Amino acid sequence: MNKRLLHTALRNISRNKRRTILSATAIAVAAMSIVMLFALITGMTNDMAYNLKNYYTGNIQIQHEDYAEFERFNPIHLMVDWEDVKPALEDIEGISAVVARTQFPVSLYIDETNHGAIGVGVDFADEAAYHDVENIVYEGRLPEDGKNEIIMGGTLAHDLKLEIGDRVTMLSTTASRGTNAITMEIVGIASFPVTNMNSAVFWIPLDRAQYFLRMDTGVQSVLIKTDEDVKEKRLIPIIEEALLKETGTTFAVDSWKDINMMFSLLKLAQNVYYFVGIFFFLLGSTVIINTTMMVIFERMREIGTLSALGMHGKELVRLFFLEGVVIATIGSFIGVTFGVVITEILGRVGIDFTDAMSGMDFEISSILYPEVNIPLSIFVFFYSVLIASLASMIPSKKAAKIEPVEALRYI
Amino acid sequence: MKIKRRPLMIMIVMLCIATTLSAMTAEQIMREADERQTYDSSRSSGQFKIKDRFGTKVSTFDAWSKGADESLIEFTSVAERGQKVLRTEDSIYLYYPDAEELIRMQGSALRQGMLGSDISYEDMTGGKDRLSQYDIVLEEDSELVFGRDCHVLTLTAKTRSVPYPKEIVWIDKENFIVMRAEYYTKSGRLLKEMETLSVGTLSGIEVATETRISDKMKTDTETIMILDELEVNIRIDDDLFSLDELSW
Repeated sequence: MNKRLLHTALRNISRNKRRTILSATAIAVAAMSIVMLFALITGMTNDMAYNLKNYYTGNIQIQHEDYAEFERFNPIHLMVDWEDVKPALEDIEGISAVVARTQFPVSLYIDETNHGAIGVGVDFADEAAYHDVENIVYEGRLPEDGKNEIIMGGTLAHDLKLEIGDRVTMLSTTASRGTNAITMEIVGIASFPVTNMNSAVFWIPLDRAQYFLRMDTGVQSVLIKTDEDVKEKRLIPIIEEALLKETGTTFAVDSWKDINMMFSLLKLAQNVYYFVGIFFFLLGSTVIINTTMMVIFERMREIGTLSALGMHGKELVRLFFLEGVVIATIGSFIGVTFGVVITEILGRVGIDFTDAMSGMDFEISSILYPEVNIPLSIFVFFYSVLIASLASMIPSKKAAKIEPVEALRYI
Repeated sequence: MKIKRRPLMIMIVMLCIATTLSAMTAEQIMREADERQTYDSSRSSGQFKIKDRFGTKVSTFDAWSKGADESLIEFTSVAERGQKVLRTEDSIYLYYPDAEELIRMQGSALRQGMLGSDISYEDMTGGKDRLSQYDIVLEEDSELVFGRDCHVLTLTAKTRSVPYPKEIVWIDKENFIVMRAEYYTKSGRLLKEMETLSVGTLSGIEVATETRISDKMKTDTETIMILDELEVNIRIDDDLFSLDELSW
């Protein structure tokens, strides 16, 4: 009986190709959109986490224990002695890389006008071990240690009409809480992955930042990258103990998840993305339901004929359910497959949001790389099949109750 | 009886005339104070004790001035050694040893504190000839400040080129040193306070040797300026106040 119904269902599907293609396409497009949307959300949240860990805090950040409390006053004198701290971290298992950075607000003095910017002193050799620092060079090269050289964010350089070879004088507050100014040469234009870094940040050698800011061997922050399988919470007490033993000083040692706003911002962003995602998911579901129901309501004449020929109500429901399942399976499979393939391609080439994100103060890269979420894609496949199949049952049940004469009136 | 009263009346009238003649007008008080603060030329050295929420830091300086409009400060303390602030008739320039160009302070940058102190670059811009810049009113002829009898004057700016639209100053009646000053916005909001903590004699001249300045727009800050040495009316090369010389 079921075999005969399946045979009939398949024959119905193949007989009206246009209707089948339209119905399957609607389901495929909805399934593909959902897969791609969640891939984009996964890409965005992972990108934000990557940026926070690589450019802002590390997996674990070490600072002077009072720094966070006075951060709004730019307390550059509340520093960490890098020469004391570095040896203490060398033998700790679970640490894959360590860098020291000093971030400082400056006024760039150009043509008798001051322009606000953010300087960051970095050790380029250590940075190379921490992340792909060469990758930020858009034009020119990275500055060399011991030289008054700058690599400047592309948008900042463009806004200030600066280019490689230009010399620029910067003023800032020093660790002795006085002021100082220094002139440096632009040797590189950077393409930082984060939009707001490109429009405000430049990097200089750490030793020159220490000299300029009168920090001696001090740095503002030490960023620690942990091994993949290491939990930050487990490592923090070990680092604290090692630092206390080596330096006799207590520092603020925090996981990136506990640092002001950063992780909560990420969680907030994630929730917003998923809310938007669920909204589109429901929208996709209504497309599937609508298409399936319309297809069946349009077939009242056929239903009347089948009833007149003696097909019972339950058989009619099963027949249309089977048709729905087959079309939904084909549509979902094509949609999810296309979604995964397109996402894979976009995940390699990236989607450029540079223009759309200009001026946004958010730690998301201007080029986003969607990431395929396989379990979610499988879920989307089965979900689409289920929704489409269930949606086909509602009008089928209604149609099955209609008398043949009444059904034929739809003609 | 009438004859007996006459000498007394004459004495009272004479005393009134003498008092009237000896009482100074607000303009006279201001002129005297300005003149005593301005030298043909001077060289001084001293220190700033700058206190903020993080503690107190000390910066030492040497300074030169010529007339009311030209001055040069060179910082000698380790952290700022070689940094200079030049005031010419119409501009303020900063020189930093590691910067290839002089920085001209203008606009909102003038409101920044010099070396993070409570003394802004703008405070250096106002000329010492306050008579031409302010309407001056004598509010009180006698008020004690730190035990010194002072005139109290209110200065209301005539032009917009001065740092503060309104000032109240307490000027010592004896030596015409400003013992206290309050600086206000046009709407009457207190911006800054200055008090003379100590008066001493340097090179035979009575001057304020210790002055406290407090920026009321900041929290928990004050700057104490101590004058250790002062020489006046000495020979100073005109080039000292030139931009070319500043870079050397």
